[in-house]
Amino acid sequence: MRKAMRCLFDVGSNQVALLIAAAIFAALALATGRTFLTPENLENVTRQVSLDAPVVFGETIVLIAGGLDLAVGATMAMAAILAIGFQGWGATIATFVALGFGFAVGAANGLLVTRARIIPFIATLGTMSVARGVMLTYTHQQPLSGAIESFAFWGAGSLGPVPAPLIVALLLAAALSVCLRYTRFGRNLYAIGGNREAAYLAGISVNRRLFAAFVASGVLSALGGVLLASRLNSATVQLGNDTPLLALSAALIGGASLFGGRGTIGGALLGVLALGMLANGLDLLGVETYHQIAIRAAILILVVGADALLGNLAKRRSAGVGAVSLT
Amino acid sequence: MPPERSNSMTTPSFTKASSFGKPFPRFWHSEHFLKLARTLRDHTAVFLLVVFIVVGAFSSDVFLTPRNLLNIMWAVSVLGVVALGQTVLLVTRNFDMSVASVIGLVGIVTVLAQLAGLGLVGSVAVGLLTGAVFGLINGLLVVTTGANPFLITLGTNALAYAASLSLTHSKTLYTTVPAFNEIGRGKIFGVVNHSVIIFIGLALALEFVMSRTVFGRSLYVTGLNATVGRLSGLNIRGAQFAAFILCGVTAALAGIIITARTGSTVGTAGAGYDFDSIIASVLGGTSLFGGRGGALRTVVGVLVLGVLNNLLILLNVPIDSQQIAKGLVFLAVVWADSLVRHV
Repeated sequence: MRKAMRCLFDVGSNQVALLIAAAIFAALALATGRTFLTPENLENVTRQVSLDAPVVFGETIVLIAGGLDLAVGATMAMAAILAIGFQGWGATIATFVALGFGFAVGAANGLLVTRARIIPFIATLGTMSVARGVMLTYTHQQPLSGAIESFAFWGAGSLGPVPAPLIVALLLAAALSVCLRYTRFGRNLYAIGGNREAAYLAGISVNRRLFAAFVASGVLSALGGVLLASRLNSATVQLGNDTPLLALSAALIGGASLFGGRGTIGGALLGVLALGMLANGLDLLGVETYHQIAIRAAILILVVGADALLGNLAKRRSAGVGAVSLT
Repeated sequence: MPPERSNSMTTPSFTKASSFGKPFPRFWHSEHFLKLARTLRDHTAVFLLVVFIVVGAFSSDVFLTPRNLLNIMWAVSVLGVVALGQTVLLVTRNFDMSVASVIGLVGIVTVLAQLAGLGLVGSVAVGLLTGAVFGLINGLLVVTTGANPFLITLGTNALAYAASLSLTHSKTLYTTVPAFNEIGRGKIFGVVNHSVIIFIGLALALEFVMSRTVFGRSLYVTGLNATVGRLSGLNIRGAQFAAFILCGVTAALAGIIITARTGSTVGTAGAGYDFDSIIASVLGGTSLFGGRGGALRTVVGVLVLGVLNNLLILLNVPIDSQQIAKGLVFLAVVWADSLVRHV
């Protein structure tokens, strides 16, 4: 059983993320007295983290394949808006419309990257802009609120003491871990991220796999949006503005790299947990909003800078084998 | 304008990337289409400008009036100043997404300097210095770590935003020097706004520096092939630092013009200028892959965006849908850019 757990969440190779998460946990438990450790607050943190988790999983999958997805925030927000806006048709239809939108954005990203060969961060920046435009046109910048009671369960409900979105996030994490680790698709993604050209020469259909990775990211972001809409029972155009940076920071803390070929779902979970605990703790400590913004920005700069330094070092060591970075 | 480069001059990593994934010839890889794409890429902006002006002349009575044309120039001059700095940076194969918040921050710092008793020259100098410092920070972070400039400057963008919030606590501050407001509101001969003159003057100066000086040429080499530049004895790191600082200073200039126009500070005054300045540069023919572009090209790119905006407003297109149009234009332009680059 322990071995199975280790395999699923790959804790062994995520010591850094585990260490960061544990350090933040300990620091907050000490700094806030007992407020942080109250059951209500812990439930609050896990709920928030579970809502962010699907987006971070999607970003991690794209990063593993050597890409980058900046459209996750806009996709998540638009999915939340659609999940609320289409409730006149019933909760199931609304959910599928939202997930369908995520699929469409992911497919657009995939096509732009694999067929039009636009570098990922530029392509996804473009789709992000278009998605935001669609969102503004659809809502006229008015907030929407939901009407269906039962829809709120997946975001705001609980099974006993366990928040419902946590169950969703853990099941998703398990499924995606198995997929990345044990299926041909997952192994191919690591190969493509590690060295695209070698992967191509080894007979992997690089473009098809990359396309699938972007679609997965789109659908997972949309799922995050549906959960968020269910939790808030409303949606506004302001949702998801910080999400690309959060997702990227969390994925990089979790061991993924902008150079591709690295990262695990378990690491991503630890990364998003660390950032979620930090945000919650800063709120509890009464840290001003602008200081929190600065702290988040500093974390992003730190992880992106460290990733670049480590990545360039590794590249220099394996000079000649030279990985082709997509970003 | 810089001399035309042959298409075969690509950097190693991208020629590598294009050596696979071409199982059979496609229509958009055919010579005809590439020729079209190349012409479009090199002269998109001029072509679009002519089309938009013709459309505008036929669809609206007021479009071609001198008053409307001057209005367009007035409206685009701030974006133009930012885009010129962005162009210099793009040529070295870097980006600056922090301009959005630096614009707001510089406005606040300038007004704070005035409240502290500094005059016109002093407060403007403090504002420009703030921009230069942010440019230097961006340069240090990007050049020393070799990290993706896009993500690093997204981080410093948030830092600048946090700084402007903490300086004002979200309050609005008002300028105290009347001469300062003249920068934004005054007109030369009662006709042309100062900001338009600043924009055109800056464009001409940068065009000269970029195409006629060793420093300017080293910017292109930095973007095309940094290793070759270094081996040829050029100061590549210096060129990158200078480009980052220049971009920070132009963003500061834009922040000063906006603040002088409104006479007050808004922390989010620069929202959207990050994206728009990149679109304007790329539309004008500056490549996202470095080594190609120029200041005058960017002027045309900025004018296209300005005329398009003006047309959409005159034709009563809802403001929310304009974002979609902008995103699609952006994707079309970068697609043409990548296509010519890769195939």
